[in-house]
Amino acid sequence: MGGLKRVLAVASNTFRETIRERVLYNLVFFAVLMTISGLLLGHLSIRQDEKIIKDLGLGAMDVFGTVIAIFIGVQLVSKEIERRSLFPLLAKPLGREEFLIGKAAGLAFTLLVNVAVMTLGLYLTLLLTGRALDPDLLKAVYGIYLGLLLVMALALMFSTLTSSAVASICTFVVVVAGRYSDVIRNIKEVAADVPSGLIQTLYWVLPNFRNFDFKNAVVYSVPVPPGTLTLVTLYALVYLTVVLGIAMATFRSKDFQ
Amino acid sequence: MKRWLAPLALAALVPFIQVRIDARLSDLHSRSDLLYLWTGEHVRRLSPGLEDLMADIYWLRTVQYFGSQRAFAVEKNFELLQPLIDITTTLDPRFELAYRYGAVFLAEEHPNGAGQPRAAIKLLERGARANPASWRIQQDIGFFHYFFLNDPQEAARILVEASKMPGAPVWLRSSAADFLQTGGERDTARRVWQHLYEESEGRMRDNALFNLRRLDALDAIDAHQQALEEFRRRNARLPESLTEPGMSALLRAPLRDPVGVPFAYDREKGTVSIARSSSMWRAPR
Repeated sequence: MGGLKRVLAVASNTFRETIRERVLYNLVFFAVLMTISGLLLGHLSIRQDEKIIKDLGLGAMDVFGTVIAIFIGVQLVSKEIERRSLFPLLAKPLGREEFLIGKAAGLAFTLLVNVAVMTLGLYLTLLLTGRALDPDLLKAVYGIYLGLLLVMALALMFSTLTSSAVASICTFVVVVAGRYSDVIRNIKEVAADVPSGLIQTLYWVLPNFRNFDFKNAVVYSVPVPPGTLTLVTLYALVYLTVVLGIAMATFRSKDFQ
Repeated sequence: MKRWLAPLALAALVPFIQVRIDARLSDLHSRSDLLYLWTGEHVRRLSPGLEDLMADIYWLRTVQYFGSQRAFAVEKNFELLQPLIDITTTLDPRFELAYRYGAVFLAEEHPNGAGQPRAAIKLLERGARANPASWRIQQDIGFFHYFFLNDPQEAARILVEASKMPGAPVWLRSSAADFLQTGGERDTARRVWQHLYEESEGRMRDNALFNLRRLDALDAIDAHQQALEEFRRRNARLPESLTEPGMSALLRAPLRDPVGVPFAYDREKGTVSIARSSSMWRAPR
C-alpha cells in the first residue's frame, strides 16, 4: 500500500513537472492548429471536408503525440540525474522501480491530458462545420494513445541505458521501424537472401505500431470489433510490461557514482 | 515596439519581391514544379501510419493542379493529373471521391479536362475493385461508358449490375433503360422498363409505364416512316397528310400516340414525330 502511495506521489510530481514544459504547449498548440486548419483545407477538397478534418486531427494527434512522448520520455530520468535531484529522492524510502513506475505513470497521464485536448480540438472542429460528433473516432484515439504509451516506455527504457540525445535517436529509430513492420514482414519479396529467422525475429521483437492504427477504419466507418481492441490492448500491456521491466532492471543495476 | 518595425517592414517586402520573381521565372520554367517522379507506393512507404493524411494532401494538390490548369494556364496541360490521382488513390484506396472526381477531371474534353475518358474508366474500375460495395463508382462507370464512349449497351449492362448492389437506388435501372432507348436498343430497353414496371410502385412505376408507352409511340413512328417510304416509292411524292387515302392503306400503326395526341407530320422533310403538344414529347438529345 505504501509502495503504491509512493508511486502515485512520483507520478503526480512528474505530471506537474511535465505539464509545465513549454515545448509541450507548443506541440499541443500546433496539433490543435493543424486540426482546425482542416476547416480551411476542407473547403479546397471538393466535398471531403469531414474526411480531411478527421484525417488531419488524428494524424496530428499521432505525430505530435509521438514527438511529445519521445521528447519528454527521454528526459524524465536523465534530467533528474543531470540536476542531481535523483540522489536525495533515492535516499528516501523509495525504490528505484517505484521511482521509474511513478515517472512512467506521470507521463502517461500527461499524454492522456494532451490526447484529450487534441481530441477536444478535433470534435470542436467537427462541431463548427456542423458535422456529426462520431463517437467511433474515440477508437482511433484509443489506438493512438496505446501507441504513445509504448513510445513513452521505449524512450524511458533507452534513457536508462544511455544519454538523452542518443536515447532520442534510438527511440525514434525503433518507432519508425515499428511503423514499417509490414515491410519487415514482407522483406523477402525484395531481398530474398535475408534469412527468414532474422526477419521473423525482427518482426516479433520490434513494436508493431501498425496494430494501433484504426484511423482509416473509423474515418470510413468500418467497424472495429471489440475483440480487436481487446487484443491490441493486451499486446500493448505485454509490450509495456516487457519494456518497463527492462528499464527497471537497467535502472536497478545502474551505478550513479 | 520601434525595434520590431524594421524587421516587419522588411518581412512585408518578401511577398512583394516574390510576386515579381514568379512573373519573371514563369517564362523560364517550362514545366510545372510539382514533384511527380514519386509513385503512390513511394509516398506510402515514406509516411507509415500517415497514408490517409498524405492522400488528403495529394488530393488537395490534385484539385489545385486541375483548377489552376483549367482556369489560369495559357497552354492547358494536364499531364500530371493522372500521376497525382494515382498517388492519392494508392495512399488511400477507399477514397471514393478521389476516383469519382478524378475520373471527371480526366474524362472532360480538353481544354476543360484531360480528354482521356478511357483512362478515367480505368481509374473508376480500379476504384470499384478497391471498393466492391460502392454502387456509386459502378454508376459512374456506366455513365462514363454512355457519355464519353457512346456505348449505351455496355453502360446499361453496368448500371443494371450496379442496381443489384445493396443500397443502390432503383433509378439506376431506369437510367439503364433510358440509355438503351436513346441508343436505339429498344427491345432491351422495353424489357428493363417492363421489369421496373412490375417491381416498383408509385412514381417509379408511373415513370416505367410512361416509358413503355413512349416506346410504343416510337415503334408506331417507325411504322409511319416505313409507310411514308413505300408511299413515296409508289407515287414519287410524299402524301399531303397521314390520313391521305393511299397512305392509310399502307399504314399498320395508330395515328395517335398512346396519350391520344395525333403524331406530327412534317411534309417538307417527310418525317413523323411525337407532337410537341403531347405529354409524350421530349426534346431530342
